[in-house]
Amino acid sequence: MKLERNLGSFRDPAGQIYEIDKRVIRIVKKSGAQRYNYLKSINIIEESIKKGFLIQTKDVTDEFKKINNDQNNFYYLEHDKLDYISYPYEWSFHQLKDAALHHLNFQLFLLERNCVLIDSSAFNIQFINNKPIFIDLLSLDKYVIGDYWKGHSQFLQQFLNPLLLKSLKGIDYNNWYKGNLDGIKTTDLNKLLSFKNKLSINILISVTLLSKLDNDNKINPQKALEKIENKKKLSKNSYKSILLQLKNWITKLKPKDEKTIWDDYSKLNTYKNEEQKIKLKLINEFSKKYRPNLLADIGCNDGMYSFESITAGAKKVIGFDIDLNSLNRAYLISKKNNLNFLPVYLDAMNPSTNLGWNEMERLGFNKRTIFDCMIALAFEHHLALANNVPVDEMVKWLLKIAPHGLIEFVDKEDETIKRMLALKGDIFPDYNIDNFEKNILLQAKIRNKTQISKTRVLYEFSKN
Amino acid sequence: MRRLILLIFVFFISNSNNAFAYLDPGTGSIILQAIIGAIAAGLTFFTNFWLKVKNFFKKIFKKKDNKK
Repeated sequence: MKLERNLGSFRDPAGQIYEIDKRVIRIVKKSGAQRYNYLKSINIIEESIKKGFLIQTKDVTDEFKKINNDQNNFYYLEHDKLDYISYPYEWSFHQLKDAALHHLNFQLFLLERNCVLIDSSAFNIQFINNKPIFIDLLSLDKYVIGDYWKGHSQFLQQFLNPLLLKSLKGIDYNNWYKGNLDGIKTTDLNKLLSFKNKLSINILISVTLLSKLDNDNKINPQKALEKIENKKKLSKNSYKSILLQLKNWITKLKPKDEKTIWDDYSKLNTYKNEEQKIKLKLINEFSKKYRPNLLADIGCNDGMYSFESITAGAKKVIGFDIDLNSLNRAYLISKKNNLNFLPVYLDAMNPSTNLGWNEMERLGFNKRTIFDCMIALAFEHHLALANNVPVDEMVKWLLKIAPHGLIEFVDKEDETIKRMLALKGDIFPDYNIDNFEKNILLQAKIRNKTQISKTRVLYEFSKN
Repeated sequence: MRRLILLIFVFFISNSNNAFAYLDPGTGSIILQAIIGAIAAGLTFFTNFWLKVKNFFKKIFKKKDNKK
């Protein structure tokens, strides 16, 4: 077994993440040893873990020094392995907001103990179900009196600006963020904001003034450097008040109130309650049978079927949906009830692909993990009929997600489908139950087939 | 105060040119932190001063109360 470097971990020369036998090991290099020794000496790692800020970490240097004698590797630290890695561009507003507040609270906690975070990458935060957790131990460093907040600009780009875009303009940041992994540039956001938006003193300082300074500095970089050299040091109190001011502001941010057609889906959909009951019963039986460690709920909406799976025995569910308002609601429900449920954004027609440096820094949807089980209810027709995906390709894509699953098929006679095809016309001769079933059988066995209404059938497939 | 903000604001709008990336974008952030920091430090000074004034008067009134 060999330690393999995680290809997304390369930015910090002081240490990187490796994987071996499903374990996550952080190697602290010679150049990071001093930083780590300091953190250890003031017991800040233990304290941060205890307070729920930092991911579980233990020193396994003795174990790994025996099998690896690279003199440049000073320490080996083992972190808890996360079941699912998600990225900021897949988080809904409340998730990004909670991640931002987690970062600021952690900074405030550290500053009291004479430590700081040396960067503000939103990718350093992950979600364990509904709780944000900081994962990059080597971002912690000693606070030196007079230091400026090095990650200030990055924090604004990766946390604040996307939140402002949604909060002030009602524009979802996710696809923009996916296109620019550094987040949303302050100068870009400034151009979008209206006069009324800029009347806020917070916006005026953190967006408009910063844009102005950035633009001026780009025109005259020498003058900018001279200005910085002549600046007084930043006092610890001022550092703290910058963090507090951002914290107070972000705490108050809310998404601009706009409902989408999916917003009341769980309440207003065209199913009858009887159908829902049958579906819940089948999901319950399915989850009891497999008791999956990780189940994917494709098209999770606000999570009703995910919750049923968890109740019946699924240890953890990752929910995927295209509708960010539903995801917001799903996340808030998960948080309120403390469920092992993480909802994230997925546009199945344009899923997250491999992104970043060397196209391997951030992994795509189907490269990240294979789930134990999957459910996809009232989902397939959105691919096949709304987006014209051929039935064979659609089935192949769904069956790739997990070896066992439940998929609902909706017939053309269904009222929802009739509405969908009302203007488009029926241009899909291959969309029928026989073809759907035939394509499942090409790759898997059908364990169960239940007619849940006149026009809907729920299939249970298994590849083993 | 409002008029001042408005003036500053108009100044920003009239000066928003396109610029090229010659410099690390963090430079603006440091200058900004120095400005906010100074305001924050000013506020802290003012708050402390105000607390001292309040305490001074409290003490006087307390002394008066004690005498009574």
